[in-house]
Amino acid sequence: MKKTISIAVVLTALLACGSDDETKDMTYPVISGEGVTENPVDCQTYRRGDVLPVCFAFTDDTELGNYNIEVHSNHDHHSHSTSATECEEDHDHEHADAVNPWVFNQDYAIPAGLRAYTATHEIAIPSDIDPGDYHFMVRLTDRAGWQSLKAVAIRIE
Amino acid sequence: MLLASMLCAWTPADTTTTLQEVSVSGQRRHDTQMRMSQTNVAVSQKYLHEHFAGSLMQTLEDIPGVKAMAIGSGQSKPVIRGLGFNRLVVTEDGVKHEGQQWGDDHGLEIDQFAIDRAEVVKGPAALLYGSDAIGGVLNLFTNHVPMEGVGGSVQLFGRTNNEQAGVSAKVGGRKDKFFYRANVTLIDYADYRVPADSIQYYSYWVRLKDGRLRNTAGREHDGSFMLGYAGYNFHSDLRVSDSYSRSGFFADAHGLEVRLSDIDYDASRRDIDLPYQWVNHLKVLSHTSWRNDVVATELNLAYQNNLREEHSEPVSHGYMPTPDGTRERRFNKHTATANAMVRYERGRNTLQGGLCGEWQHNRSGGWGFILPDFETGSAGLYAMDRFEVRPGLILNAGLRYDMARTHIHAYSDWYATPTANGPQHLQRSSEQRRTFHALTWSAGVNWTRGNWLVKANAGKSFRMPIAKELGADGVNYHIFRYERGNSSLDPEEAYQLDATVSWHHGPLTAELSPYVSYFPNYIFLNPTAEYVEGLQLYHYTQTRVLRWGVEAQLAYRFARHWEATAQGEYLYASQRSGQKRGYTLPFSPPWSADAGLRYTYDWRGDGFVALTAHIVGRQDQIVPPEKPTDGHWTLNLAAGKKFPLGSKMLNITLHADNLLNRRYYDHTSYYRLIDVPEPGINVAAMVGLEF
Repeated sequence: MKKTISIAVVLTALLACGSDDETKDMTYPVISGEGVTENPVDCQTYRRGDVLPVCFAFTDDTELGNYNIEVHSNHDHHSHSTSATECEEDHDHEHADAVNPWVFNQDYAIPAGLRAYTATHEIAIPSDIDPGDYHFMVRLTDRAGWQSLKAVAIRIE
Repeated sequence: MLLASMLCAWTPADTTTTLQEVSVSGQRRHDTQMRMSQTNVAVSQKYLHEHFAGSLMQTLEDIPGVKAMAIGSGQSKPVIRGLGFNRLVVTEDGVKHEGQQWGDDHGLEIDQFAIDRAEVVKGPAALLYGSDAIGGVLNLFTNHVPMEGVGGSVQLFGRTNNEQAGVSAKVGGRKDKFFYRANVTLIDYADYRVPADSIQYYSYWVRLKDGRLRNTAGREHDGSFMLGYAGYNFHSDLRVSDSYSRSGFFADAHGLEVRLSDIDYDASRRDIDLPYQWVNHLKVLSHTSWRNDVVATELNLAYQNNLREEHSEPVSHGYMPTPDGTRERRFNKHTATANAMVRYERGRNTLQGGLCGEWQHNRSGGWGFILPDFETGSAGLYAMDRFEVRPGLILNAGLRYDMARTHIHAYSDWYATPTANGPQHLQRSSEQRRTFHALTWSAGVNWTRGNWLVKANAGKSFRMPIAKELGADGVNYHIFRYERGNSSLDPEEAYQLDATVSWHHGPLTAELSPYVSYFPNYIFLNPTAEYVEGLQLYHYTQTRVLRWGVEAQLAYRFARHWEATAQGEYLYASQRSGQKRGYTLPFSPPWSADAGLRYTYDWRGDGFVALTAHIVGRQDQIVPPEKPTDGHWTLNLAAGKKFPLGSKMLNITLHADNLLNRRYYDHTSYYRLIDVPEPGINVAAMVGLEF
């Protein structure tokens, strides 16, 4: 019996080796402003109580997954590698002054089967949050599980 | 955690069948090779000393098919043929060592300087070792019976990369049939250093000061004591050991949210600030055997306590308010193990049977949740026969049955989350009761004639799902992802076929070890397209997996003092079903090859100098979220010298890695995921005095 199983293992192995030609998605999804007016962009300033308009174009060579939008305080002035621009830092509102920083974190679904999608949202900026520097983050997956990130530096007054 | 670790290994009380060199030819190597039909390598204490590379795992990395997977803070875990963590078993004196299952980010929890010798079994070994022995087994031995009188050693060692300094002392003695051994080791190290001035973590730029990974310093304190009786037929010993370590987490790549702390991490490179972990492993091990010319019996009893805490700065996250105190996670696991074995020789047959049981109890604490409380009981039973057909031809076959029951507790958040039905304490993990069964088998052959030795083994091995895989539901801070368990997982099974062909003729030795394995239901942590609380969801699933590979070794001794060696390894892994069909498995090692030259001399004591080129291929076979890794090569130097001082012996060993100070990435390192390169030139040295 052991012999039979061993032979089965070898045969399975050989068969499996021979069929390794399926196409795998090895490409990251893309977050861009292609064909749309991308917003927000680096170094913009918004007001508390106003609306933050969001618009990004998502593309993938195979199939898009889902996305997440998150806003977090940058009162400590860290930087993201996906952002090439250096904005002037707001030193009137530093880390130590943070009392009620704005935290926004929302997951969104993209309908199945799409290779291109435009995300548009209008996010209300609460009026009681700390003014200062913030990072606006977009995270995007494709169906295969590759993830792309984009960080935008904005200021809230 | 969990389940299953039944281990019924039969280990002889130290038989001192040790090898001078991994590449040595000769009778001892031959004997080791004939002992089992799996591919195995015995590693002597002399080898461990001469190849000392800073840590036990880095020392063993010279063996083809064995790798040290860097998991952060300069710590590493064993990987055999690309499989690590819960897919291999580490034993100490024949009892399975607990400590792999809680997290990927802590070391072996073993005093590596207390190890007398080691043995690496590559490939399936479920028959003797039960659950988890899929990739292989790393057997560590600390039970060598000391000689009459009193002896011991003191070792001082250090490493340049993280400015590690340590001392280890051993003493042992024997009076008639009674013996004792004691061991103590102290290690202290500073922040890990890499040839980079910045790294990228989850889109964040992290600028490094002097190339140091902030807050990765640590320290380790180990101690053990053993008392024993070694008679002609009867042997019994009791060993108590404790291993404690405290180490910082890389402060820029850890936590609920990437943020800049007010802590001044750059103030000192030796201090341990938040976030940090401490781990304590207490072990009590009793080993008793009785034998005569026909029958041998053995009983191993063990108790192990793993205690681990992670501390970090309390911050509010999502709907969780700022917690009190810094204790983010606490795990407290008790494991009791009992193994009994009987071996009976009759004519050309050696029959062996074993029974083993294990019970585990885990309680978690702290304000962060990733792992539920659980209790697990398991039992295993095996029988095997080894039949010597004629001198030089041995057949073996065996059958094993295992059962495990696990009870995972429900867990709800300690804080309320607003929902449509008002504020609620959300349930993260539901109560589960699972029972697992596994029937495994193994059959093999050893054959030798003249210069040839051939062995082959076919077997089925398995692994019970652990609590993390069944019931995890939380953020993995070290890799910044959301991990969710799967309560419907079945025991992972693997069918494996492996062989070794070796040939030696005078000064020339050659060895080839091919293998192939098939997993009908490999437990894979699948990166999905979903988000949970802003983090990408990774979900445990089961997929069909095919793996095959080969290791090759060649050694040639010439001109009396010289030896040239060449070795290489290749591994292929492919998922054959599920969402990642066609992709490889995470951390698949690329091909690698070594070419080395060694000069040994005897001038007022043995000495050697060895130079090795280590060449690693590019890895394009990846699975999200990995990146392809370029190939690289490094030049490494090792040297050692013994100085006899009367009845004492002074040993000096030096190991210099990456002599050319090249900057490269290791595809199988956790640091690869956050773009942290491997260390530049790194010198490890050890001075030992034996008395």
